Amino acid sequence: MFHRRFYEARAKGRAARAFFPPRIARGAMWFGLALTVLLVPAWAQSPDQQTATQAAAQTTDQKLEQLQQKVDELDQAVKVAQRKQELAEEAAAEKAKTEATVTADTSGFTIRSPGGNYLLKIGADLQLDNRTYFGTGAGSDIDSLVARRVRPTFSGTIYKYIDFMFRPDFGQGTTAIYDAYAQLNYLAWANLRVGKFKPPVGLERLQSDDDTTFNERGLPSDLGPQRDIGYQLSADLFKRRANYAVGVFNGVPDASIGTDTAVSDHRDYAARIFLTPFLPDEGVLQGLGFGFGASGGNTDGEALPAFKTFGQQPFFTFASGVTAAGHRTRLDPQAYYYLGSFGLLAEYALNEEGFQKSGVRREIAFRAYQAEVSYILTGEKKSFASPTPRKPFDPLHGGWGAWELAARVGDWEAEKGIYSYGLASSSTSPRHLHEWVGGVNCYLNRLFKVAADYGKTDFGGGAVNSNKLPERIILLRFQINFI
Amino acid sequence: MAMKPTTHWMRFAVALLAGPVMFAAGPVKLLNVSYDPTRELYQDINAAFARQWKAKTGVDVEISQSHGGSGKQARSVIDGLQADVVTLALAYDIDSIAEHAHLLPANWQTRLPNNSAPYTSTIVFLVRHGNPKHIGDWDDLVRPGVSVIAPNPKSSGGARWAYLAAWGYGLKKNNGDDKKAQQFVTRLYRNVPVLDSGARGSTTTFAQRGIGDVLLDWENEAFLALDELGKDKVEVVTPSVSILAEPPVAVVDRVAAKHGTTQVAKAYIEFLYSGEGQEIGARHFYRPRSPEVAAKYASRFAHVQLFTIDEVFGGWQKAQKRHFDDGGVFDQIYLEGK
Repeated sequence: MFHRRFYEARAKGRAARAFFPPRIARGAMWFGLALTVLLVPAWAQSPDQQTATQAAAQTTDQKLEQLQQKVDELDQAVKVAQRKQELAEEAAAEKAKTEATVTADTSGFTIRSPGGNYLLKIGADLQLDNRTYFGTGAGSDIDSLVARRVRPTFSGTIYKYIDFMFRPDFGQGTTAIYDAYAQLNYLAWANLRVGKFKPPVGLERLQSDDDTTFNERGLPSDLGPQRDIGYQLSADLFKRRANYAVGVFNGVPDASIGTDTAVSDHRDYAARIFLTPFLPDEGVLQGLGFGFGASGGNTDGEALPAFKTFGQQPFFTFASGVTAAGHRTRLDPQAYYYLGSFGLLAEYALNEEGFQKSGVRREIAFRAYQAEVSYILTGEKKSFASPTPRKPFDPLHGGWGAWELAARVGDWEAEKGIYSYGLASSSTSPRHLHEWVGGVNCYLNRLFKVAADYGKTDFGGGAVNSNKLPERIILLRFQINFI
Repeated sequence: MAMKPTTHWMRFAVALLAGPVMFAAGPVKLLNVSYDPTRELYQDINAAFARQWKAKTGVDVEISQSHGGSGKQARSVIDGLQADVVTLALAYDIDSIAEHAHLLPANWQTRLPNNSAPYTSTIVFLVRHGNPKHIGDWDDLVRPGVSVIAPNPKSSGGARWAYLAAWGYGLKKNNGDDKKAQQFVTRLYRNVPVLDSGARGSTTTFAQRGIGDVLLDWENEAFLALDELGKDKVEVVTPSVSILAEPPVAVVDRVAAKHGTTQVAKAYIEFLYSGEGQEIGARHFYRPRSPEVAAKYASRFAHVQLFTIDEVFGGWQKAQKRHFDDGGVFDQIYLEGK
């Protein structure tokens, strides 16, 4: 019997221990003992002692009440702080819906309305060139530091569908408007651009000057329009596999930005189609692009074209009494290919342009080509736009920017008739140029680039005096560009 | 069989012409830009009016609602929010729309009965169950240790009514002494720990976040909270004196004309004065203008001595300029309170 009770009690104890961990069980035991110790004297208290105990209990109650009040106050304070935070966040969210955001980062300075329907970007294109010519140093080819481009840029969007761009140039001691246009992007297949901008002809001309592989463009760009005022419809089609552009322009001489006014009733018509048939994930041909640009118009009343070498020296002078007159056609087949860090760009330009001397009109053909090849040593991907360095220049932390080697060969030629028709003198103007350029580009980061090019241009086709000594130049450029 | 080109073009032309006609035959759309606590009221009003309009004209009407602090809503309309109708907390906000955006005439308030306010309300107190801080009248709100929840009079119409109600009480208690009234209101706002932008936000602060001992609220909003939270959570206390709040309504003429909704917009706000409109208002604890409906729902509304803004403050323009404009008395006392 005793054993049975013992085992039952032991079993109950185990159950209790299972319910109450040993620490709690021990705590309960000590609490019971303390209660006993406290209560037993209370039963034995005198009336005075009982009064004192009641007073002590009252004090404890008051203290508890005060404590409760403080807890309540603290609770309220915490809740108020939380609610204020909540309201501040709501206010910030509400503000974000109606207030413009201002950002300053590697893509420039931007003010954007909520929803992005209105946007203003402020950018700049600054190029400082150090030109060092080797050779006689005679004439204008003197060594110099040149502020090649000083172009503040204002671009953006208004009314959601209208983009705009305004870019003057204050470089080389001149003030000129290079871009000033608005583009309506309402229809994905036909964006309408109006204003002053690059007509759709030459490939390298359409490449932004901060993205070109060399400090100066190749010889085919000498034979295309630089900027002109007009209308253009353009769009990317078929998932960007094709791009078209057609436009009507005032008409400008080769390599010119025009005078911002028309000089005759005639207009230039320009068109370009460029195909990039392979999408970014479609194998080794994904970087292939090829196309054709052309323009036609009339040169009546225009200034004569001014052709320049890589060193930006004028090399061709028309004879006295020659004016631009008659028809002008520009044809420009073009292509590029990019694969990994490797890049290839080639362009050919063929122009027929009308000139007049002593009442006789002649059409002269000009031809130019270039082929350039480049390779980025630091592994970045080469494309039509500048590479973004994997590690921006910060040598102390292992960043050296992106380094690129490049070479280019080019040729320019005017037909022999330019002499025989008396439009130029073989003794002063060569009709043939051959250039090659080698370059090193260092993209320190997305915004800053240092580029060094060595260029050699040989002159030929004319009489001995016009075939002057080759132009040899080292052209060092420091460039900041954000747009 | 190949389609003839002429057939193709004819179909195209028919589609072109039929498009707008089909569009025109769709429901008429109205936007009612209102203040914070009227969401539930206008849900019912809209449904009832749409039924009535359909029965009367055969045309469907879809009414969208936009709610927020009354002043903020007025600014949105001024900034271009396409409101066909505005039903705001106070006349000053509609005056602002007339003055700054010229979307309706300056005399808009005279176009409908009762100053274009089809229902009225007042400011009452919502306290926690059992009224632990023993709040019975305005004096209790300025006691130390009493936490008062009220929205910001700079953005909320209800808050402006509440502020003026307190000021009116201060004047009455101090025999018209303006300075003492200001001291009274200053002490009151010293007890306000959080300023929400609208009445609904303050109700959230008080009821859901558990902050404060008393909420200064629209009468209708207080009863709505009582219905939703239950009598075991909150109680409504009606002060001895309060202000007669007259939330006005108006058609935004130029927007309605542009949308071609003038007729339906007018009918919509006139519906608020109808028996059905007044009944719906009363069910949502807005005091009806109609004597019959007011008599029917008399038991819903406690007796309180009400004064008007014209009587005590000389109208909204004066009250706004003195108390709520930037640098006005409210800015001073709130900064002082902080």
